[in-house]
Amino acid sequence: MESVKEAVFIDCEVTPLQEINEQIAEAAKQGVKEVIIENPQARHNLGVGITNPINLIYKGDVGYYAVSLCDYVTAKVEGNAGWAIGENLMHGEIVVEGNAASSTAASMRGGTVVVKGSVGARAGIGLKGGTLIVGGNVGYMTGFMMQKGKMIICGNAGKALGDSMYAGEIYVAGEISELGNGTEIVELLDEEYMEIKALLESYGIKAPPAFKKIICNGMLHNFNKKEFGIWKTIL
Amino acid sequence: MENNIIRKSKVWSAEKIEEIQEKAELGRYRIRGQATKRLDLPSFDDLVFTPAGLSRVALEGYREKCDTRVVIGEGKVKRPLVLETPIMVAGMSFGAINANAKKALGIAATRCGISTCTGDGGMHPVEREASEKLVYQLLPSRYGLNPYDLKRADAVEIVVSQGAKPGTGGTLLGQKVSEEVANMRDLPLGVDQRSPCRHPDWMGPDDLGVKIDQIRIATNYEVPIFIKVGAGRVYDDVKLAAKAGADAIVIDGMEGGTAASPEIQLDHTGIPTVAAVVEAAEALHEIGMKDEVKLIIGGGIANGADAAKAIALGADVVYIGTAMLVALNCNKSLYVEDYKELGTIPSACHHCHTGKCPVGIATQDPELMKRLDPEEAADRAENYINSITMEMQIFARSCGKSKVGDLDPTDLRSLTMNTSMITGVPIVGMGSRKPYWARYEHSTETKELVTK
Repeated sequence: MESVKEAVFIDCEVTPLQEINEQIAEAAKQGVKEVIIENPQARHNLGVGITNPINLIYKGDVGYYAVSLCDYVTAKVEGNAGWAIGENLMHGEIVVEGNAASSTAASMRGGTVVVKGSVGARAGIGLKGGTLIVGGNVGYMTGFMMQKGKMIICGNAGKALGDSMYAGEIYVAGEISELGNGTEIVELLDEEYMEIKALLESYGIKAPPAFKKIICNGMLHNFNKKEFGIWKTIL
Repeated sequence: MENNIIRKSKVWSAEKIEEIQEKAELGRYRIRGQATKRLDLPSFDDLVFTPAGLSRVALEGYREKCDTRVVIGEGKVKRPLVLETPIMVAGMSFGAINANAKKALGIAATRCGISTCTGDGGMHPVEREASEKLVYQLLPSRYGLNPYDLKRADAVEIVVSQGAKPGTGGTLLGQKVSEEVANMRDLPLGVDQRSPCRHPDWMGPDDLGVKIDQIRIATNYEVPIFIKVGAGRVYDDVKLAAKAGADAIVIDGMEGGTAASPEIQLDHTGIPTVAAVVEAAEALHEIGMKDEVKLIIGGGIANGADAAKAIALGADVVYIGTAMLVALNCNKSLYVEDYKELGTIPSACHHCHTGKCPVGIATQDPELMKRLDPEEAADRAENYINSITMEMQIFARSCGKSKVGDLDPTDLRSLTMNTSMITGVPIVGMGSRKPYWARYEHSTETKELVTK
């Protein structure tokens, strides 16, 4: 019986996109533990639609949609990430050592996405579960229409933070340019802080001394209310 | 008593007065279901077919075949979508309609060899089981989206916007956000749901190309990918969608349906379907992709005449939504007291948004749902689909075409100047010729004048 390989190496410099993804999917299907993706060259769609457990190591920057539409996948990006890394992740864990562009973890359903640097606009947009951790700052409309899950932001947040969120929690350590519609800042309990601190430290991120907790204030998404101000703003 | 004469105003009609007074009461715009109720839109009714005569031979209806099959994605994907007739059931979400209605449509579509579509809100297991061919919608909301359902789909439709309300996201009022709907959409139970109008992870046509690549990888290059756009800036949108790499483009005219929308938007946004199909076909021709990319047209298609005319103007397939629900029993004269309670009557109901659908289609209320037997409803929908197919064949045969898809603009004439201008189809009585009395070359006087 042929033993399962511990690791597979793929060189993106010489491999077409379709083949790269087919090799990753096949390795995951065969129970290979790790795929090392060399020379990713910020190419888009590296590691899409993988639904068998596997660990992906990207030896450089990745483009759009890395580790997207995946389940039970863990990944480490040894560089920066383009748009929508971890989009629609179901279960698993992604760690980006550098920065990530817009729409990081868009519509994520579960698992954890960690960006040690900063991320662009619309981080965690439409979040449906899981945890997004950002070591630096986040841009405009982060957490827009968030439905479930948790976001921990160690730096500052841009305008419209959590706008139109239905549920979930956003924790911000730095400045918030402007809260989004339908949100409010509530008291952070000591045990919550300790939980966040432990989580950050598990990824080698030093926890800031305090966080603001942002949740949905329950004012939106009730169309029978005669509150012109809300209607004018959001609909 | 001259002032006793009752004279209705066109400026201040009863509907307009009612609308103002309702807004004065509500403090907001009106929300309702169904579609625009404007009566002044150009439509397919403004066109007629010019069947065969001496100049062309008609096909014998009983003996000679008239092909209706359409294949989407042929030569491009591993599993092209084969439709036995150029009709698809349009996307209507689980949430907007219930599982019984989904099941009925799935059974009917399967029997007729056509597809159904998930709509927003994810893939309901009942629908997947009932539908041999199921189009999976990928919307800005991403409700219920997951890689497993993507891989189980027979086509993927990236929805940019909807004909009934282009430029906005979806609405589902809390009374329809049942426990099952809430779970599938990851929403709090009973919340008035509003979904975004922009996709969370791409913004423009360049990004869309990358997104299409992503979906192709996630589906192993197996199924066709559509892009659906509400009819507005059709000419440019179609070119951009085609260049982004779509296998089919869905254009949804302003007559398209909805379960809930601001009423003012239904009546004042988008362009009519008859205009949209012409712009879309023109755009594809111009970039040389008419044969490569299939064109699917929806919005108010009600019968075989609408469908055949849309095809003659350049569509490959028609999308039918509201009419399918009507076939199931929507607006039928049953449970009339319940219509009255909603303040309406059968044939004029648009109360899908309330979740109190008297015939058990656009509701998640278990008691109301019992009013729709999926098996019986499937029979009606099947009959309806078959009738449209036969009607399309009537027009094709009478125009001397052995394939419905061979109908073209030369098979049509326009009854109105408006529609002639919009579609480029000559108005009746004119054709492409000048009337004999306008031909100055036949006039001796003119010839003499020119000679002099």
